[in-house]
Amino acid sequence: MSETLIRTENLKKHFPLTGGVFRKVIGKVHAVDGVNLEIKKGETLGVVGESGCGKTTLGRTILRLLDPTSGKIFFEDEDITEIKGRALRKVRMNMQIVFQDPMASLDPRVTIKNSVGEPLVVNGVARGRKMRDMVLELLEKVGLTEDHLNRFPHEFSGGQRQRICIARALALNPKFVVMDEPTSSTDVSVQAQTLNLMKDLQDEFDLTYMFISHNLSVVKHMSDRLTVMYLGKIAETTPYDIFRKPLHPYSFALVSAVPIPDPQFAGRAHILSGEVPSPISPPPGCRFYPRCMFAQDVCKVEDPPLRDLGGGHLVACHFAGELDFGKSAQMEYADSVEEAVS
Amino acid sequence: MTTADEIVLHVKDLYVSFYTYEGVVKALDGVIMFLRRGDTMGLVGETGCGKSVTAKAILGLVEAPGRIEGGKVIFFDKDAETQEITELDLAQLTSEEMLEIRGNKISIVFQDPATYPNPVFRIGDQIAEVIELHQDLSLDVLYMKIAKLELALSETNSDVNRAEIESKIAYYRQQMEDPPEPDKKSIKEAAKLKAIEMLRMVRMPAPEQVANQYPHELSGGMRQRALIAMSLACNPSILICDEATTALDVTVQAQVLKLLNQLKTEIGTSIIVITHDMGVVAETCEWVNVMYAGTSVESCATERLFTKPLHPYTAGLLKAVPKLHEDRERLPQIRGSVPNLISPPTGCRFHPRCDYATEICIETKPILEELEPRHWAACHHPLWTSGGKKNE
Repeated sequence: MSETLIRTENLKKHFPLTGGVFRKVIGKVHAVDGVNLEIKKGETLGVVGESGCGKTTLGRTILRLLDPTSGKIFFEDEDITEIKGRALRKVRMNMQIVFQDPMASLDPRVTIKNSVGEPLVVNGVARGRKMRDMVLELLEKVGLTEDHLNRFPHEFSGGQRQRICIARALALNPKFVVMDEPTSSTDVSVQAQTLNLMKDLQDEFDLTYMFISHNLSVVKHMSDRLTVMYLGKIAETTPYDIFRKPLHPYSFALVSAVPIPDPQFAGRAHILSGEVPSPISPPPGCRFYPRCMFAQDVCKVEDPPLRDLGGGHLVACHFAGELDFGKSAQMEYADSVEEAVS
Repeated sequence: MTTADEIVLHVKDLYVSFYTYEGVVKALDGVIMFLRRGDTMGLVGETGCGKSVTAKAILGLVEAPGRIEGGKVIFFDKDAETQEITELDLAQLTSEEMLEIRGNKISIVFQDPATYPNPVFRIGDQIAEVIELHQDLSLDVLYMKIAKLELALSETNSDVNRAEIESKIAYYRQQMEDPPEPDKKSIKEAAKLKAIEMLRMVRMPAPEQVANQYPHELSGGMRQRALIAMSLACNPSILICDEATTALDVTVQAQVLKLLNQLKTEIGTSIIVITHDMGVVAETCEWVNVMYAGTSVESCATERLFTKPLHPYTAGLLKAVPKLHEDRERLPQIRGSVPNLISPPTGCRFHPRCDYATEICIETKPILEELEPRHWAACHHPLWTSGGKKNE
């Protein structure tokens, strides 16, 4: 459990912005801006944040689907930042991704058998009859049957398609899978099925997940540790219950904006003023200070480093641990439910 | 039940079908619901359960190959001055008559704020267009002219000018009894001013500036606010929010939900919130209608739904949401998936996925009945009863 599988060092990914007649670079989007992160073997690291905070870019950069601007990525202590060609392909066999929209990530003109079997053929693991048998085994693992082998993506429901994508990601028996918003396009009842399936597969195949989502309840349900991102940086990484013990003011605001499924607590959300600033010209100093109710002068100048506040609870805030947020409606709700149970 | 005075909209046994190449999709199969004046009602269900089709049927926006096959959409239109109530069946109106209702008496905010405002017109002009189209602005034009003259009066120094302006003001004041038809230019100006007023009402920062901006210059949350302002421009009796906050981030969603709650008390519009998020329902609604595969399955007050759901589907839906306070290894799930509406299951449409299903569920379709006081459900085997009509 304690062995590190993925590690990044000051990882940055900037996208150039071009403009004018000669497509000159006029600026850059700081999508991921200095991320240090560690994922241990067998755990699920959840990544949450609002749209545009860089969570998807981070996932793709770690898999080398995007080339990092600077920084380093380690997979099992091997530096994979610069590797190319055959070496990269070999590492990629161990790292897979499941995307948000299953319809867009399955070729509409290729049968399920060939879609799921493609990684096997490309990497020379199996072909023909053997490939078919392996695909069937995978499909059965995700709850599909032999009848489905020769069908096309449009013949399936959204939940089934997402399960096909999961089967394909698992075809090469990877160690690490990035789940990029895997359930955000499915319904609640189907979402529960998919989440349960992913947990079962994790136990069975000994997988390590990076679970990216904007839905806090889902991420919390899936993860062992949780990382909150804001404007390309990590605000907080916690092994504890984020709903009970948020230490970064942004995490607190994010947590208390989640609607509570109990009408007694209606109208209690803590409202964060303003909106996420543009990642093209992020504010200097702490990126959250323009919206933070605890902001001091130091926050405008100095970018707070990620500090360990004990037990692996990392927070990037000058005043972490000293701030009193009060009790959010969510915490009170959790207490009331616990009381009712006991 | 409730009297016509309290109810503003009553949907009675609505049937809508879509005639596609693969067959007839029975999208709505006897939907029943009512909305009380000044209430917020939630319309909850999964993809394809007919929430949006219901909204479209109310607004007369069901387009070919869709067709309203039967049922009534009764709108109780209350006159603002006389308090008189006229009963209109929206399903029977012609498209011209519907133009009078849509955007004026009933308006809608759609899900995706990126696609709905027209990208080539300024925000303020788009809101002003609605106002121009539906409202009599002759009084507003006079007010605007007087306000302008009063401003000029405070700035002028010469006595000759002063007397001239004062006489003009007196002339306009006189006209207020029976306002004349204003010219097009001043209508446009007055409508624009009103549009800015609307933007201010939805708590838009710097409304004068935003009115002159194009939709792409605004963020998602601000665009959604502008759309809400547009929908409320004519003081509608009913505002339908079709997944209005689904595309927004949680922090922005919280801002918009708070705004909706505030506006409801300020202007007394009845709101229909269409959503799949139980949290949003708990946050905003007094009453909930749960839909499944084109049918109404449960209808009750919000607190009631969260504490004592009657229908097995509602109960399953509530359990399947990951809770933020519990550490459960597995989520309780509803097996199977939403049925295909070209050949829906016989009897109760939920029976293939229901744990309590018996013979009767396969054979007869349950009707929406008041099984408990003020709590309607369509189920042969409701989860609990306390001296209700059925106890099986």
